[in-house]
Amino acid sequence: MVIKGKLREYLNNCYQCAMCSGICQMGRIQKYTPSRIIQLIIEGFEDRIVESGMLWDCLTCNSCLEKCPYEVNFAEIVRDARNKMLDARIMPKIAHKGFYTLLSEIMSKENITPEKTFEWVPSGCKVSEEGNILYFVGCAPLFNYEFDESMNNAVDTLKILCKIENEPIVLLKDEKCCGHDLLWQGKIEAFKKLAIHNIKAFERSGASLIVTSCAEGYRTLKIDYPSMFENFNIEVKHLVEYLYEKLKANKIKFKKEKKNTKILKLTYHDPCRLSRFLPKSFNIYEKIRYIFKELEKIGYVYNEMVHNKSNSLCCGVSCWLNCSDKAKALRYHRMLEAKDVADNLITTCPKCEIHFRCLQNDTETVQDINVIDLSNLLENVIEVIPSKQNK
Amino acid sequence: MKIVEKSSKKQDIEFKPNIVCFCCNWCSYAGADLAGVSRFQYPASIRIIRVMCSGRVEPAFILKSFKDNIDGVLVTGCHIGDCHYISGNEFTKDRFERLTKILKFLGLEDRFRLEWISASEGKKFAELITTFTNQIKKLGPLNNI
Ligand code: SF4
Ligand code: SF4
Ligand code: SF4
Ligand code: FES
Repeated sequence: MVIKGKLREYLNNCYQCAMCSGICQMGRIQKYTPSRIIQLIIEGFEDRIVESGMLWDCLTCNSCLEKCPYEVNFAEIVRDARNKMLDARIMPKIAHKGFYTLLSEIMSKENITPEKTFEWVPSGCKVSEEGNILYFVGCAPLFNYEFDESMNNAVDTLKILCKIENEPIVLLKDEKCCGHDLLWQGKIEAFKKLAIHNIKAFERSGASLIVTSCAEGYRTLKIDYPSMFENFNIEVKHLVEYLYEKLKANKIKFKKEKKNTKILKLTYHDPCRLSRFLPKSFNIYEKIRYIFKELEKIGYVYNEMVHNKSNSLCCGVSCWLNCSDKAKALRYHRMLEAKDVADNLITTCPKCEIHFRCLQNDTETVQDINVIDLSNLLENVIEVIPSKQNK
Repeated sequence: MKIVEKSSKKQDIEFKPNIVCFCCNWCSYAGADLAGVSRFQYPASIRIIRVMCSGRVEPAFILKSFKDNIDGVLVTGCHIGDCHYISGNEFTKDRFERLTKILKFLGLEDRFRLEWISASEGKKFAELITTFTNQIKKLGPLNNI
């Protein structure tokens, strides 16, 4: 938790410049003014704010934090308030009738031990239960319930890892949901139970490095787990960081695909969890762009959208909240921006991908842009440079 | 030693499962009614929720029940081809096949069943409840497997 101590004291930092209300992404589609909400809380109307349920509307996109001169973390305030809203039985409307949230909640029960099947593991990939490098798959196998392509991301990431590493990659049979959605919906108790289970499972496997290809999972494992459980200190890397380091260390390079002669125009959507939700020192914007620079060398074209890096627009749904026609307008806007500069929209968040694809199903004008995950793009072009010392 | 054995046995007997049963209005609910009218005996472990068609039952309803520690969930509808809304139950079948995969992953697949029961099958309804209740009893309560 960022906010320790009294909320009102913390908020006294705010000097009502209203920069946050100006930038607010929700403000683009409905009246939404974080600075006013903060003012009301300072004036002592916190209960009224909670009762009104308006904090369910925040996208928790962190654009406001990016612009705030005093770094008032509004999304964290929202997260804590959501816990109070649940206590007061002020319920949100969760997309898909709450299906995916319910799954996480069932998983959080101590006596439920999930049993993942590994039939999706591509042939030629060596996996084991114990080892050094662990791939945290996340919820992709569950999204498979209605999004048929959701497994591609996991399959391709695993292929990449197997190609680069000589040792078997660890996959956990009893891996549970990371709890991201529950945490941001204010269900903190359930979140903690999931975290405790996962941390134990990680430690049992003996892994020294956890790689994930999910933006939300990364932020949760990297920042939220250690902040709540001090004894968790296994290194966590997103696929982006992992590949960046391998490229820098000259372990891998990109090679041209022979069959693909058409020039692919790429653009990249920065998911909030893999951009504004990380400390600046992570330098994640530059790392991902370094990968694209390398791709340009083998003939891809990379263009930035109008809103990029810390300014990037929100896909409109976070932790399965807020899916509505209004949120679709946000997503539509984002996809038009992408369409202007490229024909492939790359992202590193499986959920962004799902939401974008969903919009494509009902809006013709954005159908001609191809939404894919970074791992799907890179799987074919990565080549391992054999190390000379070994020979 | 003996005392301990006795008390644990007693607990076994006392476990009364809570089962939610979704019945479609046109066939299964009438079937359940017939079971009552014809005085077929079945355990009082179920709570019937009447829906207009089995197609109304969202997979999320099943998950919500499990989340709230219901020990077993039954979904019943008209036989394929008999649905009052023509194809509602075909839709249901497809949906729950997908859900079963997920329940397997959670280790809950034995606590869920989908059955077709027509308005004249009071006997079958009573038998279904009996066998399903016994099955759940064997599995024990959901909140301490
Ligand atoms: S941007 Fe920061 S300081 Fe300005 S009104 Fe918003 S929260 Fe207050
Ligand atoms: S997190 Fe995003 S949606 Fe929420 S108040 Fe800040 S800018 Fe607006
Ligand atoms: S955008 Fe589509 S996939 Fe995303 S929550 Fe809404 S309905 Fe579901
Ligand atoms: S009306 Fe009975 S299943 Fe549709």
